[in-house]
Amino acid sequence: MDFLKSGLKTVLGAPEPGQQPSGADTVERLVERVNNSTLLEDRRDACRALKAMSRKYRVEVGAQGMHTLQQCLELDRADNETINYCLDTLNNIMSPTQFEEEEENPNVPMNIGEQFTEMFIKNHQNIQLVLDLLDEYDFRVRFSAVQLLTSLLTNRTKDIQEIILVKPMGVSKMMDLLADTREVIRNETLLLLIKLTKGNANIQKIVAFENAFDRLFEIVSSEGYSDGGIIVEDCLLLMLNLLKNNSSNINFFKEGSFIQKMLPMFNTPDEEEVGWSPQKVSNVHCMLQIVRTLVSPSNSAQIISSCQKIMKNCGLLDSLCNILMASGVPADILTETINAVGEGVRGEAAAQRALGAVLAPSNPPRPAIVVLLMSMVNEKQPFSLRCAVLYCFQCYLYHNETSQASLVQTLLPSSTDVSSLTSGQLLCGGLFSSDVLSNWFSSVALMHALIDNNAQKEQLLRVLLATNIGSSPVSLLHQCTVLLQQSTKLQSKVALLMLLSQWMSNCPPAVSAFLRAPGAVGYLVTQTCSNEHDENEYLLQGMSAFLLAICIHFNDDSVDNYSKDSLKQLLVKRIGMETFSAKLSEVSRHEAYSRAAKHPQLKVKAASDILIDYEFCKLFKGLESVLIQSLTVVQTNGDTEEDTESLAQYKSLIRQQDARLHELLQQLAAETQRGHKLQAALTDATSENSRLKDENTLLKAQLSTAASIQPAPSVDANIQLEYQQKVSALTDEVNRLSAVNHAANEELARTKKDQDDLLELLADQDSKLNEYKMRLLSLGQPVEEDLPTEAEQSLA
Amino acid sequence: MAYAYLFKYIIIGDTGVGKSCLLLQFTDKRFQPVHDLTIGVEFGARMITIDGKQIKLQIWDTAGQEAFRSITRSYYRGAAGALLVYDITRRDTFNHLTTWLEDARQHSNSNMVIMLIGNKSDLESRREVKKEEGEAFAREHGLVFMETSAKTAANVEEAFINTAKEIYEKIQEGVFDINNEANGIKIGPQHSTGGGAGASAGAGGAAGGGCC
Ligand SMILES: Nc1nc2c(ncn2[C@@H]2O[C@H](COP(=O)(O)OP(=O)(O)O)[C@@H](O)[C@H]2O)c(=O)[nH]1
Ligand SMILES: [Mg+2]
Repeated sequence: MDFLKSGLKTVLGAPEPGQQPSGADTVERLVERVNNSTLLEDRRDACRALKAMSRKYRVEVGAQGMHTLQQCLELDRADNETINYCLDTLNNIMSPTQFEEEEENPNVPMNIGEQFTEMFIKNHQNIQLVLDLLDEYDFRVRFSAVQLLTSLLTNRTKDIQEIILVKPMGVSKMMDLLADTREVIRNETLLLLIKLTKGNANIQKIVAFENAFDRLFEIVSSEGYSDGGIIVEDCLLLMLNLLKNNSSNINFFKEGSFIQKMLPMFNTPDEEEVGWSPQKVSNVHCMLQIVRTLVSPSNSAQIISSCQKIMKNCGLLDSLCNILMASGVPADILTETINAVGEGVRGEAAAQRALGAVLAPSNPPRPAIVVLLMSMVNEKQPFSLRCAVLYCFQCYLYHNETSQASLVQTLLPSSTDVSSLTSGQLLCGGLFSSDVLSNWFSSVALMHALIDNNAQKEQLLRVLLATNIGSSPVSLLHQCTVLLQQSTKLQSKVALLMLLSQWMSNCPPAVSAFLRAPGAVGYLVTQTCSNEHDENEYLLQGMSAFLLAICIHFNDDSVDNYSKDSLKQLLVKRIGMETFSAKLSEVSRHEAYSRAAKHPQLKVKAASDILIDYEFCKLFKGLESVLIQSLTVVQTNGDTEEDTESLAQYKSLIRQQDARLHELLQQLAAETQRGHKLQAALTDATSENSRLKDENTLLKAQLSTAASIQPAPSVDANIQLEYQQKVSALTDEVNRLSAVNHAANEELARTKKDQDDLLELLADQDSKLNEYKMRLLSLGQPVEEDLPTEAEQSLA
Repeated sequence: MAYAYLFKYIIIGDTGVGKSCLLLQFTDKRFQPVHDLTIGVEFGARMITIDGKQIKLQIWDTAGQEAFRSITRSYYRGAAGALLVYDITRRDTFNHLTTWLEDARQHSNSNMVIMLIGNKSDLESRREVKKEEGEAFAREHGLVFMETSAKTAANVEEAFINTAKEIYEKIQEGVFDINNEANGIKIGPQHSTGGGAGASAGAGGAAGGGCC
């Protein structure tokens, strides 16, 4: 930091006499006073003044004063007021936000706070200094220290997290502050902990270990749960940080019975007038996020299932369902509750059953599931709500043959009660609606009733639809093929192709039914052969190819014209194997595919982005290579000759792949090496960069101070430079000489003092000697010259 | 679910001595020959009974590598018990015990109960550290000692439960300040009414009682 100061000095020169001192001058003098003054009051006053200037002159105070302020934290530790000023000044310098005072000043770089932070943390000891100050009970010191740490974390989250993690008791110290009885400190600590725990699993675990969940629930309950203020929200945000992607902490949360403690959060108000304040919406929203984090499909199956069981058994699921059916719930809370209920039951039979049994308070009472599906196929409902219902319904069907069966059951002719509205009817209505989103949602919902469930695939074949009065009913599958051929909308076509793929895979009767439907095969062949160039067209071509391959692979030769072999020949002749594989591979290349494959829940922003479903991706991934293989196997009946031939084929394939593998391994090794080199280069570049940044900050500071100085009267620049060099050389010489002088003076003083001491000692010895002589004489002993020496020897 | 006491444990020792396997054997009663290297710290829990009282054990299994040492240190202060583990087939893990012990003593509260464990006792043929040596080390440093096998489950229950017994006795003797959670001990919801643990535990009891 010293180079900064000396750098500034050469630019500043001495202040011109009779001129108003600039901000930079004042800062410089203040910093000097903090440095040199031996009086505590003086240093304190200077720190107070620096604090006052640190907003408007943050560059100057930071560039000149940072080192001094750091020292002050160490040396004036005993004076809380000074420490408080120091901390506040540092906090201003490194503040991540721009001050009003500096809005007009173009010399202040945007990320100045970050740059100073980087300089500050270069010495890890500085963080330790601030951490140590957290132990100080004094309000101002503790408060400012917490704020400073928050700023530092905001600017350089990862770096500070790593530094704090290796400081003994670093995290624990901050946790202790949550118990501070002064609410202001407690609240400020919450903000600090939110920053501290963001994305760092190790810190999250320590914070949880230090009883964070207990503390947080105490605060949440004392503040009145969801009716509490922003503090409740802060507590919940911190909990969310601790749990997100942290299975160890989720486990701890579950084992510590904290799921049960969330219950009062979802108490629906008895009287409706209580209403939903914006804060309450935020609070409940956070709490729903916590619920979803516990049972998120990305967690391990074991964790999900045990959390779901607890939620159901402790009544949390019921509470959520109550919100679902309550009136006056804001739309985004409702949406998030639907998502949470979905994930709360996904794959857990007992919970799914419970959801199936929930009745809406309508007249007549209807199952909640039916009411939800009504919203899904209702164009007037918000898009995100409709997506949530689909997701919830998918979760309700997930890994549950009973709920899948009961859905299909509502469509079968045997279904007795014609008067009441059923899930199946709603979905069929949606399938044939003019609203394309309803088509999509309904197809996908129906598709989920068939996943891994061959019995229902066959049951669904029995479903008949009355299309026009008078004409004979047609099967649902037949009607789907008709729609597929008629539809002009991409989303509807994709949805139907997904439904049919799911339906017909592993189900030869469904394949037969499809092959018998007029025009169906022709349509698929035409689509696959289509030559249009557009990523959505590619997708349609690929999905048609996929369905065609399903028709071949799961074909039981029960339809005369379309036996396995004849379809294969058709494919080879009309499309060609290579084209076919190429088209098939287009499916997984589509952006919507990779987006959908990531997570069971749809992640789309706009209704127009909706295209592919997660479960279709799974189906496709599982079948793609199987289908291609079954097509490439030689067509005629396999006798031994064929077998050896295909064996040879496989062998050569393996050899090829082996060679390819080898090649890739070599490439990998080369890439790894390259990576290492790049890493090294990057490290170099980073350190160089950081050095340049420091220099840059210095130059900026110099620039801004230089700007405030009158230009020197027209002296030739060269001469000026020469003079400057001379002056600086002379100054150096003077400095050196005065240092020599100083050292010599000190040496002299020391020698003098030694001499005095010796003289004193000598005088003392002399008088003692005389005394002894006198005593000896009085005892009548002869006095010899070497007496003291003997005394010494006897002592030794 | 209701418990009389809750104790926090940590498991420490060189990497590869079987800490994670011991925890898994204790919580899930199974042995996993190929276990992932622990990164940082992992949590596990189980309920046990001592003296007719339900005691909940919360256990943090730590990573043994030097790189995680400073993270591990954050857990000493709040733990009531520590299992210090070495591998009887690897002398170096026994030699490192002094370092571990110093670290633990320096950063923990003085009442923390430390149990010394020589693990992999099933591998008798590859033994490098005699049982007597373990006993001697334990005696010298005032630790409880036991040889275990996470594979056969021999002595695993005992190791965790005896540590708990030791802590429980210290509580009975009044050595532990049970109202200070920083010691790694919590009183269960049902106990709190008479004691000084305050409203928080009571509230937990109300919520927990209704649902489990
Ligand atoms: N034979 C035997 N092997 C064990 C025993 N405990 C652990 N292991 C093995 O030792 C290795 C390291 O175990 P692990 O629990 O990951 O050690 P950690 O690093 O201390 O957590 C694994 O391969 C285990 O299978 C034991 O009691 N007997
Ligand atoms: Mg481990």
